[in-house]
Amino acid sequence: MADEFIKGLAILTVSGTVWFTVAAWYRTDGFGGTQLIAPRPDEDLGTYGEALLVIGDIALYFALIGAITFWVLVPAFREGRRAWDERQRAE
Amino acid sequence: MTERDHTEDVRTDGGEPQTDGGESEGGAGLPANVPPDDQTPTWHDRKARTQGLSRLTYEYFERARYEDQVLRQESDYVERDVLAFPTWPHETIRNLAITSFFLGMMFFVAAALPPHLPDPADPSNTPPVILPDWYLYWSFGLLHLDPINPNLAILGGDKIVSDRVYGVLANLVVVGFIAIVPFLNKGSARRPVEEPFWGALGVAGIVFAITIAIVPIQNIVAEFIAIMTIDLLFALSFILPVVAFFIAYAVLKTMQEGYMYELNKRYYRLRPPR
Repeated sequence: MADEFIKGLAILTVSGTVWFTVAAWYRTDGFGGTQLIAPRPDEDLGTYGEALLVIGDIALYFALIGAITFWVLVPAFREGRRAWDERQRAE
Repeated sequence: MTERDHTEDVRTDGGEPQTDGGESEGGAGLPANVPPDDQTPTWHDRKARTQGLSRLTYEYFERARYEDQVLRQESDYVERDVLAFPTWPHETIRNLAITSFFLGMMFFVAAALPPHLPDPADPSNTPPVILPDWYLYWSFGLLHLDPINPNLAILGGDKIVSDRVYGVLANLVVVGFIAIVPFLNKGSARRPVEEPFWGALGVAGIVFAITIAIVPIQNIVAEFIAIMTIDLLFALSFILPVVAFFIAYAVLKTMQEGYMYELNKRYYRLRPPR
């Protein structure tokens, strides 16, 4: 149980930091404007800039899906399987 | 005096091995520090709590106790009677690591999203809305209590103190009450379940801190939520803490039936019983 929690937390924080870096660099108008979720800039970013935007998106989805997986899906699957086993044994 | 006599003299701890695991004689029985049987719930305990929240609480703590027991049985770590670690090097290096981490995070966030410097303040122009920083809203809200400053018929409908003085007195009363709480309750409870009244009082205090913080911004809140009038908001800021108190008290009182007071006692050996 604790193992699953720390896995989800590690994924959320580390991957979230990667997303935060990219989003602060490319997706922020300014301190007073939209922060972190502004539309991507219009000018040509170059190969590295484009790659970073993709990495940022991947990091965001990895953080969310990873946390949900380890905090919700895996424990729910285990509980369900245990309940299923108990029912099978009762019959 | 032989060597053997000397060692016999030195042993003043009763001769019990202070280790966890691997010490059992002949490989049978539990290691020395596994929770003794009097902490394991009896069959009657298991049967007595069979429903609802008390059952859930009981299962949660029983599971925690069992996992702790399993971990201790599997462990080959030697438990020593150590109360703390030395400041140098253990604590110092750990604190340096923690300090470096948080300093690094602060520099990182400040570099990623640099805050901008606003225009200098204009002393000849008062802004329309004056509010303190958000963490002082509760105190600012206590200065806005003029609707409940009583006008006394004895004085011909006059108020006994002005609204400003009344607000300052309200601050003194609240801060004074918080100051005497440690003298009313010594804080020997390990979890809110153990003292439902004080746990519920804490919940009510937190809710009151939030609701009284809404009072100075109530016209802004009333704009956003259609059914809220300013009078209703003001009344709710005193009703909600009481409601929260009774809900929290009921929940904690129910959980108490399933709570094991003996649980985790060893972790809190340094704290004297009340």
